[in-house]
Amino acid sequence: MLDLLQSASDGVLYGATYALIGIGFTLVFGVMHKINMAYGAASVGGAYLGLMVLKLGAGLPVPLVFFGSFLAGGLLGWMVYLACFHFIPLSSPLATLMSTVGMLLLIDEVIVHTTDGMPQNYPALFDDVMLRFGEFTLRGDLLLVFLVSVACMAGLLALLYRTRLGLATRAVSQQAIAAQLCGIRLAQVNVTTFVITGLLGGIAGAMIGAAVGTLSPLLTTPLTVKGLIVTVIGGLGSVPGAIVAGLLVGGFENVIQLYRGVTERDLYVMLLLFAFLVFRPGGLFAPAGGRN
Amino acid sequence: MKKIALAIALAFAAGAASTAQAQEKSIRISGFGAKSGVVRSFGINGEAAMLAAADQINKAGGVKLADGSKARIVVDYYDDRCTAEEGISVIRRIAGTDSLVAVGPTCSNVAEPLFGILQKKVDDKGDSGLQMPVFTDVAIKVGLARISEWAFRNVPNEMTMYSSVFYWLRGKHPQAKTVYGGVEEDFAHSRATWHVVMKDRATANNYTLLGESKWLLNDTNFATQVREMKKANADVVAISAHPFTTCGVLKEMQRQGVKPKVLIGLTSSSSMETMQGCAKQAEGMIIPTSYAPVNKEAKAASDATAKFKGSADLHSMAAWENMFILKSVMEDMKISGAKAEVQADRRKIRDGLAKLRTTPGLLGVNSRTEDREADKPYLFVQAKGGQWVVIHNPL
Repeated sequence: MLDLLQSASDGVLYGATYALIGIGFTLVFGVMHKINMAYGAASVGGAYLGLMVLKLGAGLPVPLVFFGSFLAGGLLGWMVYLACFHFIPLSSPLATLMSTVGMLLLIDEVIVHTTDGMPQNYPALFDDVMLRFGEFTLRGDLLLVFLVSVACMAGLLALLYRTRLGLATRAVSQQAIAAQLCGIRLAQVNVTTFVITGLLGGIAGAMIGAAVGTLSPLLTTPLTVKGLIVTVIGGLGSVPGAIVAGLLVGGFENVIQLYRGVTERDLYVMLLLFAFLVFRPGGLFAPAGGRN
Repeated sequence: MKKIALAIALAFAAGAASTAQAQEKSIRISGFGAKSGVVRSFGINGEAAMLAAADQINKAGGVKLADGSKARIVVDYYDDRCTAEEGISVIRRIAGTDSLVAVGPTCSNVAEPLFGILQKKVDDKGDSGLQMPVFTDVAIKVGLARISEWAFRNVPNEMTMYSSVFYWLRGKHPQAKTVYGGVEEDFAHSRATWHVVMKDRATANNYTLLGESKWLLNDTNFATQVREMKKANADVVAISAHPFTTCGVLKEMQRQGVKPKVLIGLTSSSSMETMQGCAKQAEGMIIPTSYAPVNKEAKAASDATAKFKGSADLHSMAAWENMFILKSVMEDMKISGAKAEVQADRRKIRDGLAKLRTTPGLLGVNSRTEDREADKPYLFVQAKGGQWVVIHNPL
């Protein structure tokens, strides 16, 4: 029983990293009804750029790595928007999808060529903190990731529901043409969404780097896959859904790994995804449809 | 008029002679391996070692051909991206050029199917497989060269190396009696090394196997696996994984306070990648390797490779050795180097490689086995202060 509880809690806490990535996917989808396949890679790219800050400025305090990742993530988000959405007709869903797939591969290869694929040591926060309750333990660094993702969700919800920018974003999300008729500048809302999700991606990349302790190009593909699964299970466009689904997927895969082994783990995660697609295609928290 | 004709003829003759001198002979050796993706460093280092070795051979006069003339070695290098389909495509492309021999690949999951498309047995007219000698420098999974008589390898024998490691540990740490394994289950080399080599060699040396934890190459969370490891409380933990997940597991072991008496790693992890990813956590890890800069030749090879922007490790230095072995084979077998006789020369190189019983190596003499594999001298290195330090020379 303790093993089950421990595996589930480890997974749920680690699932916070999936949730952070899922939030980015879902926000872009919510606003533009597009999938940004490069989001996971850009998040890892942000973490790499943050690490570069530390390497270039020897002696700088470690938290600057995280701040650097945050800013770099925003910059990459803007670049992804420019390269994959701004100059490509949005009426063609396949064009933007393929351009972001291309961007994913490009970012991946840039990382590989810059680092020769070598794993890079990444500073961890509260890595040595382990909360112990008898045999049961909780990792301090994962608790931090969990709290950060909850804070990000709260911040995003505040931004969406308490600011003019959020109002504009929601308006574009519900009815882009009507929003334009009301004077909302569509391009500005779109690029702002990408920068915000990019900043969030930078945090996600930094938190994942800190949780794993190492950065590697090997991170991009699994994060992209997990991010997409979380987005679908949580409900396309739902920020709270992405959080809950991230934690759910993290816990589920760890429990499956405990009982069925690592080689069957991803099989069951995919089955979970199919089950949602068949029985609850709107996901856990499908947002109410807009007036079209 | 006759004088003018003679002058023209002389001018032509002189021109022809100088052209012949300018068109110096060359023979092509093609390297191939991963130059993109997460194992890119293997390809970079392998290519650098091949270029450095070719440079040294060319400066010393090149390769002596059957007619007594000399030819310089030209090296080209192809990226197989560590995928089987790309590797097969690359070897077919190489076979379509005037390249006499291929050196590669990096990954065992490429080598295995790639050797499968080579002709199984020489002179088998019913087998239309490729007739191209392949001399592997990196792909290390046990027993692959037996797939085709055109396949040769100069990779260390992990069976011998890990047998020696566990034997040595018995004397060095007599109190250590139990072993627990951690394996990267979806990578051909690491999987085979744990399941076929390490487990077998540990039990053969009277260690009790307490269990194993598995993870995948792309995994990032190792909490469950390390918890299993902690429960087993083994004296020796053997990790058969590549640097990224090795580092992930070592960091999780540190978090959960798992401190075995002895930590053993996979041959391929005795590189700077591990040091770059987790030097602190890898401290004390012991790995057998077929290369360390312990003598003049090994240091010189390392320096020469560095000039071509590569670093020396057990894999890249195998590529270095391969170049010198091939030079010697080409001279012994009296290849013509003529473009019209590429296939005949390839066959001569194959036969020459098959005849070898020993080859010179950077750490000493390498033995060649009947099934076209190598048995190379090796050392044990240990991670100390961010470096790999030689701790034992069993030979």
